[in-house]
Amino acid sequence: MYHLSLYLHFVKLRIRSQMEYRFSFVFDLFSQASIAVIDFFMIALLFNRFKELAGWSLWEVGFLYGMIGVCFAVAEMVGRGFDVFQNSVVRGDFDTILIRPVGTFFQVFSHDFLLRRVGRFSQAFVILLIANSQLTISWSFVKVGYLLVSLVSGTCFFIGLFVIGATSCFWTIQSIEIINIFTNGGVFMGSYPFSIYRHWFRHFFTFIVPLACVNYFPALFLMEKVTSSGVSSFGVHLAPIAGFLFLGITMLFWRWGVLHYQSTGH
Amino acid sequence: MRSFYLTVNVYFAFVTKSFQKRMQYRVANLAGLTTNFFFLLVHIFVYTAFYAASTEPQPLSLNEIITYFVLCQVSFMLMPFFGARSEMTQAIKDGSVALQLTKPVDFHAYWFADECGRACYFLLMRGLPTFLISILFFQVTFPQHLTVLMAFVLSMTLAIFMSTAITITIFSSAFWTLDTSGVSGMSGSVIMLFSGMLVPIALWPEGLAQIAEWLPFAGLIDIPFSIYLSKITGVAIWTAVGKQMMWCLIFIGLGRLFLRRGFSRLVIQGG
Repeated sequence: MYHLSLYLHFVKLRIRSQMEYRFSFVFDLFSQASIAVIDFFMIALLFNRFKELAGWSLWEVGFLYGMIGVCFAVAEMVGRGFDVFQNSVVRGDFDTILIRPVGTFFQVFSHDFLLRRVGRFSQAFVILLIANSQLTISWSFVKVGYLLVSLVSGTCFFIGLFVIGATSCFWTIQSIEIINIFTNGGVFMGSYPFSIYRHWFRHFFTFIVPLACVNYFPALFLMEKVTSSGVSSFGVHLAPIAGFLFLGITMLFWRWGVLHYQSTGH
Repeated sequence: MRSFYLTVNVYFAFVTKSFQKRMQYRVANLAGLTTNFFFLLVHIFVYTAFYAASTEPQPLSLNEIITYFVLCQVSFMLMPFFGARSEMTQAIKDGSVALQLTKPVDFHAYWFADECGRACYFLLMRGLPTFLISILFFQVTFPQHLTVLMAFVLSMTLAIFMSTAITITIFSSAFWTLDTSGVSGMSGSVIMLFSGMLVPIALWPEGLAQIAEWLPFAGLIDIPFSIYLSKITGVAIWTAVGKQMMWCLIFIGLGRLFLRRGFSRLVIQGG
């Protein structure tokens, strides 16, 4: 409870400081949304010419796109602290974090809150709503719950990626850009049905980096495509757990990483 | 004549310095290379699947599409999309731009030279490896005639100049906003779409392709690569290159105008 009120207090501070550059903030909000609109526009362009992709229609892909977009936007909004963590290591600011009487993970987590990602979030959410209205998904309690769990799980998955990127700074000081492949690249590849990818690629993004588990498999379940896709239905039901597990493992990695921290000094 | 030689020498020194500065970040470059390659791979997966389901003939064959996207990734870092070029904004934001102003050089030309050095670096250290690795793994087509290759080199050079001019124009907005992430993000996405980076303009619906035709941004990606793939041939090459040249000059003029206006209202923060 103490952590929660502390977190909310931090968020309030962050929002206030971001509002200082008001013009840039508003502009950024729109630019976020416009980037995302163009992103989806591109997919629509392709469907305009090719009609279908491995048996998926435009709005079925739109559903995938909306889901992954919502997860990533929220993850960027709350997980920003880990995203910019390298600055703390480069400047040696992490020393201050270590001597405070709150956990390091919590402190870095609450270090930043990127309100402007609301732009991207709303765009993805709108696409998700439109896709839903275009498709005939028979919603039930189970499905709504499953969708919510999947979205939270997807958000955890992306935060986990940020945590890995941040933790690696303990060794490399500068954050490893490779993580961009999984974050931005993950959003990009998660917008398409996994069946179009090669085996090794698909397996990697299911079992090692569980992107498929938080996006593609849940979408299969919600759109009742499980049997036609040839994926085991048992696996699909369990899939969203992967996002939470992934975050848990990365948290352990973080704790281990902190032990290896050597100050760059002041 | 001597003063002209000196001037060229000075700006050439800026180009080489900028190149050398970037040579230090080798690991970062390796990471970037992997990222380029990953996006290329996903693009190829997506288009292969689209083409597999399509029975109608398309304006570009799958191999040509693959070549197009290989070239896209080769030149990705040379394009005025987003991020990466935060040094300029930073210089305006923290006031170190004042130091640069004291130097007896033309400011626009200085930035232009700096950007060209950057372009050379990424062409050599990022573009070339991407291309060589791609040849190994994918079916990349090559220009059939030497003239096509020469026309492509000319067009690509103009594309890089245009990109540099656009970058400076966008980033000079920092004089007004201090934080350019919004402006560069928004313009970046529009430029990306209309350059043909995301979907080749040949695959667009008629009306939209018409709009792209009238905008300058096709000169960055679509025109040079269409020349490479021999989709633009003969006299049309000259019109296309002429268009690139015209837009290049317009953006250089615009950038210079913005910079002059910006400097006249500049307040240096701190000291």
